[in-house]
Amino acid sequence: MKIILDAMGGDNAPEAVVKGAVAACREFGEEILLVGREAEVKACLAACGAENEPRITVVNASEVVTMEDDPATACRRKKDASMTVALTMLKNGEGDAVVSAGSTGALLTGATLIVKRIRGIRRAAMGPVLPNGGRGVLLIDCGANVECTPEYLLQFAYMGAFYAERILGCENPRVALLNVGAEDTKGGELQKETFALLKAAHEAGRINFIGNAEGSDLLTGKMDVLVTDGFSGNVMLKTVEGAAKFMFRQLKGVFYSSTKNKLAALAIKKDLSGMKAMLDPSEVGGTAMLGIAKPVIKAHGSSDDRAIYNAVRQAIACAKADVAGAIENNIEYMKLEKEN
Amino acid sequence: MYEKIVSMMCEQFDLTPEDISENTSFVEDLGIDSLDVVELVMELEDAFGMDEIPEEDLKKMRTVGDLVEYVTAHSDT
Repeated sequence: MKIILDAMGGDNAPEAVVKGAVAACREFGEEILLVGREAEVKACLAACGAENEPRITVVNASEVVTMEDDPATACRRKKDASMTVALTMLKNGEGDAVVSAGSTGALLTGATLIVKRIRGIRRAAMGPVLPNGGRGVLLIDCGANVECTPEYLLQFAYMGAFYAERILGCENPRVALLNVGAEDTKGGELQKETFALLKAAHEAGRINFIGNAEGSDLLTGKMDVLVTDGFSGNVMLKTVEGAAKFMFRQLKGVFYSSTKNKLAALAIKKDLSGMKAMLDPSEVGGTAMLGIAKPVIKAHGSSDDRAIYNAVRQAIACAKADVAGAIENNIEYMKLEKEN
Repeated sequence: MYEKIVSMMCEQFDLTPEDISENTSFVEDLGIDSLDVVELVMELEDAFGMDEIPEEDLKKMRTVGDLVEYVTAHSDT
């Protein structure tokens, strides 16, 4: 298996990408293709003592997609950008998955335009996995599609369920719809129409739809997949991240407030570290772009080498589990009949 | 040319030829967004051997008729 890395993507590229790639290569034993400015990438490899690593190949790409670039224009004009080259290699079968910490918009657009969506999939979606004390919960979509139709959400539900089953190891994944209340009749037109579609899919035995869920249910472990439009999903994701940071800040304040509390903190230091690691985004890996014909993983823009290492691990898992193949094989159930 | 473009649109957007006419608007009638249009245009550039269609020209294309007219004027075939 070959994993293609956009070596120039992200705030800490290429150093962190190369370092993470080297660690992943040594740990997982898969081939790595590092795409970027050859001299810079090779210098980073040398700094890691991996210039002679036989399973790592450097592919030269002279340009870089920046955060300022318009996504569609970057894809069409910057043909020799590391991200564009990496996606083109994936399309051409020169590797099995792409990992990039570069611009989210450019990666999604590039993946759609170059690698293409699975035939019949209306929109690719972003599905990060959030910690919930168990195997994690997939939130889909979290920002790729601000405006959605019921059909998009139906497809997100199927794609999320396949991912949860094959990557998170959830048997018969529980799928819920984000809403403003648990009752069947809650929400606007989008939620009501989607609810009916998901209920029908459940009754046909294709999805384990457990009904509506509120935002506060996300991390309770009641569900494996939470389906929503990209706007609400993004607001939800950022709110959870902000709330977690706030809680840790407050907790730190309490522990530092007195000598007695400092001693108490010392006593549970190991447990606190474990909890922090569970919530650490760099341990999760990246966000899968579901609906694209081949695996594309978006690592966080501020990824360090550990985050890249975990994103490569996730890319290997996605390629081995063939999530895209499962989606493709079930595409007929995921399309709505057109109204005449 | 019109039939070719309609055929490519049907393939890409899962439509039938009956869904499309020269007056069909990409956004209002088909509900497709700018990314879809870029995707279609890249396919057309390849299929008809055209140079890259400039952004400013893309923005002016609102209907299928606009696109057909543009491709007819700029393609090799």
